[in-house]
Amino acid sequence: MASYSTANDQILIEEKSSVRKFTLNRPKQLNVLSLAMGSRFWELYSECAKDSSVKLIIVKGKGRAFCAGGDVAEVIRDISQGNWRAGTLHYKYGFMMNYLLKIHNKPQVAFINGIVMGGGSSVSINGRFQVVTENTVFAMPETALGSFPDLSASYYLSRLPGFFGEYLGLTGARLSGAEMLACGLATHFVPSEKLSLLEEALEKIDTSDPFVISSTINKFSEVPNLKEKSAYHKLDIINKCFSQRTIEEIIAALEREAAENKEDWFSNFSIKLMKKASPTSLKITLRSIREGRYQGIGQCIVREFRMICHVLRGDISTDFYEGCRAILLDKDGNPKWEPSKIELVTDEMVDRYFTKIDEDDWDDLVLPAFAFSKL
Amino acid sequence: MEKVNFRTQVLTRHLLNNDHRGTAATAGISTSPCLSYTPPEISSKPFPFDVNSMRKLMDGHNIEDRDWLFNLMIQSNLFNPKLRGGKIFVVPDYNQSMEQQREITMKRIQYLLDHGVFERWLTGKGFDAEMRKLALLEVIEIFDHSLAIKIGVHFFLWGGAILFFGTKRHHDKWLKASEDYHIKGCFAMTELGHGSNVRGIETITTYDSKTEEFVINTPCESAQKYWIGGAANHATHTVVFSQLNIDGNNQGVHAFITQIRDADGNICPNIRIADCGHKIGLNGVDNGRIWFDNVRIPRENLLNSVADVSADGKYLSAIKDPDQRFGAFMAPLTSGRVTIALSAIYSTKISLAIAIRYSLTRRAFSITPNGDEVLLLDYPSHQRRLLPLLAKTYAMTFAGNYLKLLYVKRTPQLIKTLHVVSSALKAILTWHNMRTLQECREACGGQGLKTENRIGQLKGEFDVQSTFEGDNNVLMQQVSKAMLAEYVAAKRRNKPFKDLGLEHMNKSCPVIPSRLTNSTLRSAQFQIDIFCLRERDLLNRFAIEVSENQAQGESKESAFIVGYQLAEDLGRAYSDRLILQTFIEAENNVTDTPLKEMLGLIRSMYVLVSLDEDVAFLRYGYLTVEAAATVRKEIVKLCAEIRPHALSLVSSFGIPDAFLSPIAFDWVAANSWSN
Repeated sequence: MASYSTANDQILIEEKSSVRKFTLNRPKQLNVLSLAMGSRFWELYSECAKDSSVKLIIVKGKGRAFCAGGDVAEVIRDISQGNWRAGTLHYKYGFMMNYLLKIHNKPQVAFINGIVMGGGSSVSINGRFQVVTENTVFAMPETALGSFPDLSASYYLSRLPGFFGEYLGLTGARLSGAEMLACGLATHFVPSEKLSLLEEALEKIDTSDPFVISSTINKFSEVPNLKEKSAYHKLDIINKCFSQRTIEEIIAALEREAAENKEDWFSNFSIKLMKKASPTSLKITLRSIREGRYQGIGQCIVREFRMICHVLRGDISTDFYEGCRAILLDKDGNPKWEPSKIELVTDEMVDRYFTKIDEDDWDDLVLPAFAFSKL
Repeated sequence: MEKVNFRTQVLTRHLLNNDHRGTAATAGISTSPCLSYTPPEISSKPFPFDVNSMRKLMDGHNIEDRDWLFNLMIQSNLFNPKLRGGKIFVVPDYNQSMEQQREITMKRIQYLLDHGVFERWLTGKGFDAEMRKLALLEVIEIFDHSLAIKIGVHFFLWGGAILFFGTKRHHDKWLKASEDYHIKGCFAMTELGHGSNVRGIETITTYDSKTEEFVINTPCESAQKYWIGGAANHATHTVVFSQLNIDGNNQGVHAFITQIRDADGNICPNIRIADCGHKIGLNGVDNGRIWFDNVRIPRENLLNSVADVSADGKYLSAIKDPDQRFGAFMAPLTSGRVTIALSAIYSTKISLAIAIRYSLTRRAFSITPNGDEVLLLDYPSHQRRLLPLLAKTYAMTFAGNYLKLLYVKRTPQLIKTLHVVSSALKAILTWHNMRTLQECREACGGQGLKTENRIGQLKGEFDVQSTFEGDNNVLMQQVSKAMLAEYVAAKRRNKPFKDLGLEHMNKSCPVIPSRLTNSTLRSAQFQIDIFCLRERDLLNRFAIEVSENQAQGESKESAFIVGYQLAEDLGRAYSDRLILQTFIEAENNVTDTPLKEMLGLIRSMYVLVSLDEDVAFLRYGYLTVEAAATVRKEIVKLCAEIRPHALSLVSSFGIPDAFLSPIAFDWVAANSWSN
């Protein structure tokens, strides 16, 4: 595979004893993953997997973000200069690096001391350990952008407690570090002022043993309090509403809940977020998470790649371009979704996102054979 | 989530390019894995047909509803999710005590209720509501038989009795309340002394016109209600089946609604309830025994769709003949046999998916010096054990789908057909399940003994299927009895056969070629011909035997009873032919070529194995000895041809991984020390 790692100051690399440290270094852009970074990560993870002297990987972000997702502006630019296929390369590397991260044998500790969003979440969650802090803000904002949570999100969101994953994926609601810990998206909470001490401690342990790593982090970690107004306290409502079969039924259940419980903030809040999102995005996101629940990491990735290709190709809906226009380019915050209503998105349209792209010399993402090991 | 060391090494080696092989090898022998798990997806060929299309064909309907319910179960801790080898499995904890299993089963029902699974199960009308209900019940069955049975008793037996035996006043009062579980119903039919012979039950009900009440009594110990699912712990109401005695005249079996517990769960006055105790399986169902001591119920509680008693105590029925009345009464109960037959097939699918996936990853013995050990499914003998059962499961899936539609679209004219088809398929499919479970259990070796691997436990859980809703042997006798009646009627009136699929008897007898070539054996025409030939000949023989016995002075009934050997053969012949017909029909509706070809292969396997197994083909000369040997050889070839597709065929069952078991996946990781 060709290398796109020319601009490799976008990831800073440190070698300390048996530890490799990767720092995402685009602080002005909130460390969004460029194509160069994706391909570089893919190389780095491949090398670490082969290199028996590497025992632990630490990944962190420079500035106030860990990683705010993929560099969508770059994707749009590449597509505008060529065709939709040009944009798929970003995702190809994104998927490949996440796949490697998930299945290779080197434990990774992600220091998430700030914003972590969309594809950025995958880079941390697919590793072994996630350290969050009081500065952490998590969200999967894709449905508001006309896309869907990808880079294996359907794998890990579907494995959260109850129907919390559906809630996060559909609404794009934010979580704090404490909430990430509570729902299992993070393994440890460490106050940010202790991160450098933790880093030093991890440099010394010289082992891949997850128990040793975990207990090392434990020495610095705390059990944070969940704020009173946390969605995680609403798990019963979430389970009741977000377990429904369709988007229409989920919204109807939330509306019932809101009507029955006037003081409760949660249902109306969720409805508001979902009403802002692309109707098509909501439907494919729900299906993606539900299917992901049955599938292994490899299957999820191959399927999500198909889906994102349809999104970029714009053959079923062009909401992604509209979302990027409204949120990222024109910044009017007022996307005109098409179809504009949930009920106008037919099952047949949703089905098409899951079919192979019907174009000459176009192939599904090919992962190494063990992709189907259904880990 | 820990991956064992050697597994990651294997993965690493995959990751490493080949040019690094040398350096990896220098890492030393000591760290190399002794045995590695390779997912069957890697070692198997790419799927030759679209697995999703095959699943749609097999599941038939409400695919998205099914997937939604699987999701609901996986995501709740009530369904006992367990992380093994990096994967989540949901299987009930069968190591729980009987009481614990009963309580968790009830809690699971509450969860499903809260999430809207049972919406419209009793109040919904029409085809779509019915099909949704059946689809969801099948999914529940895949998780746990107890859960499905407890739900089935409440909705299909109690709810069904009210729906079918009751009239508007009962529907208004009970259906919605039952659907919402405000009341919990059970179904008190079987007694200690009478099971399949419902007409012989001894519970007696009389009418007191002064108070306008019925009075129900258990006159003797053999009349105690027995095996009443739900009665021991949870049910608040029951449908009591009882002889109705009006003014000294027995009017036969009738059904009455009786409350047995109050809302707090206290047993009502004049009712005694005892537990049936621990069983070989299905311990999540609280089977109980009930005695009635002068229990008084309002007159309105008689389920009066077929017969009623007026306020002043007159017996009223539009159907004068008690036999017919009884028949009309029992007809709706086919739902039980339908759901049992369907669930049996899903149980075989679980066990085959597990055993075949395991056989594609487990090796035993090498056949060359220093060679790799051989995958279990690469042994022809192992193929011969599992693949024919797989083919039969496919065939019976299509038969089950046919039965389901026959039931849902039933009309009064089809009641007899429905009775015969449901009897035959309930018996054949549940026997097939038990046999498959045993074979799959053995095929998994020691791993089959662990309850977490499901198959062994399923034997206990599903064994009851050959007994409840009609003993299989009794049901099969009903099949041959109905066939004989059809035969006698056609001959007596000298009219063509027009029922039970016996129309082929009107045509000339099919001729089987004396030399069976490979292509003949695999042709649908030959296959249906030989099944029809067997059925036709056995029916003729059976009719002759019965009439000969009658000529010697035996009664019709005892002539039938002594003819049991032919009757059994005949019942099987009928069922096999029916199954094959449904298979061919399903196949004909498929347009996709790879799918069609696969189905053709499976159909041939189904037929040839049936030919090989039933001695009747040789005994009565439908096949020559040479032909039988040819058939046997062809089975070996078919095994080899189906072998590469084994994985895609079980993947088409549409059962999510979480509902299979650890040995179906990375069983090395699942059993590693760190797990």
